[in-house]
Amino acid sequence: MSLPRSIYKMFERVVGTEYISDRPHILAAYRHTSPQDGRKPASPDAVILPGNTEEVQAIVRICRRFGIKYNPVTSLLSVGMPPSDQLKVVLSLRRMNRVLEINEKDRYVVVEPAVRHVQLKPELMKRGLSYPVPSVGPSCSVMANFLAKGEHHNQHSTSRNNRYLLGYEWVMPTGEILRTGSLSNDAGWFCPDGPGPSLAGLVQRSNGVYTKAAIALDEWKGPRIMPAEGHTPSYKVRLPQDRHKVFIFKFPTLEKVRDVMVEMGKAEIGAAVLKFFYATAAVMFTVSANDFWNTWNSGLFQKELSKAVWVYLATRTPEEMAYEEGVMWDIVREMGGEEVDKSVRKIWEDNMDFFIIVSFLQRVLKLGGGWSPILHCESLPHSFEIAKTIPEFFNSFIDKGLVLNAPHNFQIIPIEYGHGAHIELLFFYDRFLPDAKMIPQELMKQSSEMDLRHQHYSPSPDKEQLYSNFQFWATKIRNAF
Amino acid sequence: MDTLRDYKYTMESCNHCGQCRFILGPKMKGWEYAEVCPAYHRYKYDAYSGQGLINIAQELLEGTLNYEDDLLAHIYSCTTCGACDVNCKSVRDMEVLDTILALRVKCVEDGRGPMPQHKEYAGNVAARHNIYGRPHAQRSDWMFEGMRLSEGAATAYFVGCTTSYFYPDIARNTVKILQAGDVNFRLLKGEEHCCGAPLWRTGQREAAIKIAQQNLDTIRKLGIKTLITSCAECYGTFRGFYPRIAKPDFEVLHISEVVNRLLANGVLRPTGNVKMKVTYHDPCLLGRLSEPYVPWSGEIKPYGLHEPPKQWRRGTYGVYEAPRKVLRSIRGIQLVEMTRNEENAFCCGGGGGVPAAFPDFALSTARERIDEARSTGADAIVSSCPLCQSNLEKASGISGNGFRYLDFCELVAHAL
Repeated sequence: MSLPRSIYKMFERVVGTEYISDRPHILAAYRHTSPQDGRKPASPDAVILPGNTEEVQAIVRICRRFGIKYNPVTSLLSVGMPPSDQLKVVLSLRRMNRVLEINEKDRYVVVEPAVRHVQLKPELMKRGLSYPVPSVGPSCSVMANFLAKGEHHNQHSTSRNNRYLLGYEWVMPTGEILRTGSLSNDAGWFCPDGPGPSLAGLVQRSNGVYTKAAIALDEWKGPRIMPAEGHTPSYKVRLPQDRHKVFIFKFPTLEKVRDVMVEMGKAEIGAAVLKFFYATAAVMFTVSANDFWNTWNSGLFQKELSKAVWVYLATRTPEEMAYEEGVMWDIVREMGGEEVDKSVRKIWEDNMDFFIIVSFLQRVLKLGGGWSPILHCESLPHSFEIAKTIPEFFNSFIDKGLVLNAPHNFQIIPIEYGHGAHIELLFFYDRFLPDAKMIPQELMKQSSEMDLRHQHYSPSPDKEQLYSNFQFWATKIRNAF
Repeated sequence: MDTLRDYKYTMESCNHCGQCRFILGPKMKGWEYAEVCPAYHRYKYDAYSGQGLINIAQELLEGTLNYEDDLLAHIYSCTTCGACDVNCKSVRDMEVLDTILALRVKCVEDGRGPMPQHKEYAGNVAARHNIYGRPHAQRSDWMFEGMRLSEGAATAYFVGCTTSYFYPDIARNTVKILQAGDVNFRLLKGEEHCCGAPLWRTGQREAAIKIAQQNLDTIRKLGIKTLITSCAECYGTFRGFYPRIAKPDFEVLHISEVVNRLLANGVLRPTGNVKMKVTYHDPCLLGRLSEPYVPWSGEIKPYGLHEPPKQWRRGTYGVYEAPRKVLRSIRGIQLVEMTRNEENAFCCGGGGGVPAAFPDFALSTARERIDEARSTGADAIVSSCPLCQSNLEKASGISGNGFRYLDFCELVAHAL
């Protein structure tokens, strides 16, 4: 299907001739079959590059008038459009990439959709400010990760990204603008909930286009410029050891791992406390797929990291470091923990950007591109209950050779010092296997069935109870358009 | 020789993660100068990025995209600077740039490419051994009295077309430096032909192979064991293209590496004082794209395992330190770095045949680079490639305020 010239001209009048195209070779970037999905997405009929909110409004109104589906994008990890008989356009928001305000006093930043982590994070570090960067890769959109529930390595001392969202500007499917939080009362961006009910949850499942967001900021305790040494792909990023330290401890059981997390949360120490994926770690900290296999086949990561806790201490002063380190050791010793092999710990000491921007996150794609996560958000003890049941459905996939043999490749990260937790099972599969695209779907199905059997909360939106009932309201409001 | 079909794994493996467009995380410095792809920066559409070009390559290969209006111009608007390639390879086992180059070869083989301006290159090289169509007899006109050449030397200085015809001072300064360092060297003179870079990088593979073979025959006939270049394009071509034709049996050195060695050995001692704050621009084919190419053939097994193991060119071992060490050794020089440096350097816009076919885009890219250089507070931008010089000089002239381009050899020769 192609866009009728009359409609194309209407869009063109909004953005100018330079920023709209329906040329097949320009659209090729939006219809490539992603290896982690395997399904060929439909080609959009045009791509439009609006430059500001007013242009987005005008485009949305045209789409609404003619029943055209639209997909706003910045990064393209999930760009695919489903097959449909309707006209379809991609709204590439990459021209909307301004940092509109950095308020150092009230600690917030206002950004447009296409500002990337690799741009914003260093701007804030220069000012002694920071925010948690989700595990998405440096080139992904800041705003998208805060509108969604971005997960990251530092949730133990902070929270999920959506808790940092102070407000947003939303071009609704009607083309009207809704601003949330204190912004809606002309009071700036400082507060997420202005008078009246919070609308923060709406962004999870709403149509329209988000054009601005205000994000709360934290203090940054590290150097003002990222201290990188060396060359790609083996940079070293080491932070000053008197105020930044990484430890990795292994424990005899997952229960001990859980208890350590609980105690560290009670003591409120550690910028990051987590159990990280051991296979993903091997993928992230090796350069080639062959390097990964050499490391993985050595068995070192399996031996050291299957029941391990990573602790990143970041403090303002050496004295504060001494205190946190002392408390940490008390807890670790009480739980029977011991440090992992020094060579493993050194990997994280040399790559402390893991806790800042996760520079090499996209290496999870390295084994050919076949990967997928299964996510839950629960209480900390409940996350460990879920972890215990993973083998029930996962081992059969391993036994059939459908996924990488890594049954402990899950991470558990406490949220807000253990008031919640994130658990994620990340699995790798060979995308050249027959019916490889069915593997993630089948794993997700069996994971959900396991949740029902054990009465776990399910990642399915309609069953997620931890965050109240926003999803019902989101659905109602979406249907209202 | 590889074909587009050989890069099927790369084309199918792309997850559109966006790493091909942006500077790497450890090198981040701020909002400005974070994009690394000149074409994506200028044209904005994702299709111009490394990802977009390999998506196009796949569709052309599979026959789901036709040669439509503008497609050729799109494909040839890439400067083939390789920023996408090394950034992708920081996280993946993919050959983005080789896929783009193979795409151009396909365009030529299909009778569509290259751009008309590039077709002239091949004709000129065949007739006069240089892409500019200048008389071959004038190739050595830059030579000056008092040169000490060692006709039987196993070391040769390969001057290159752009230097020979347009930037003779680079050649003269190179010779002065070599002489100051007591290096016994010879020239290929009339037997020096275009290195083949402009043909290789515009997809004219057969013509490039032919000219490269002539140079290889000459180098072997003369018993050359070390080839010195002052041109980054020649350097990167000898290291990145020639091994695709024959196993290399001679060493290739850039003049910055030679000077660095001479300084380390105490043979050269800069005595001059050059009071200036400068920033260094890494030419693509001297920096991230200069690692030697090692042919690989084998099987890609499940989970990306390459058997036998493949030697990847990820930009790790480019010539980054040698020119910097030399500049720092010159009294009075204060070297400051741009945000996008070394393997993340932003292209000057002078590569891939872009200046010939898309001069406005080449110039806007150079202006972006000059803006970045000026943002460091430097008085001048230094580099070591005549193609970079051509483009950056044009842009620095436009930028005004006395900011200028300086050639590496000129600075070194001045300081000796």
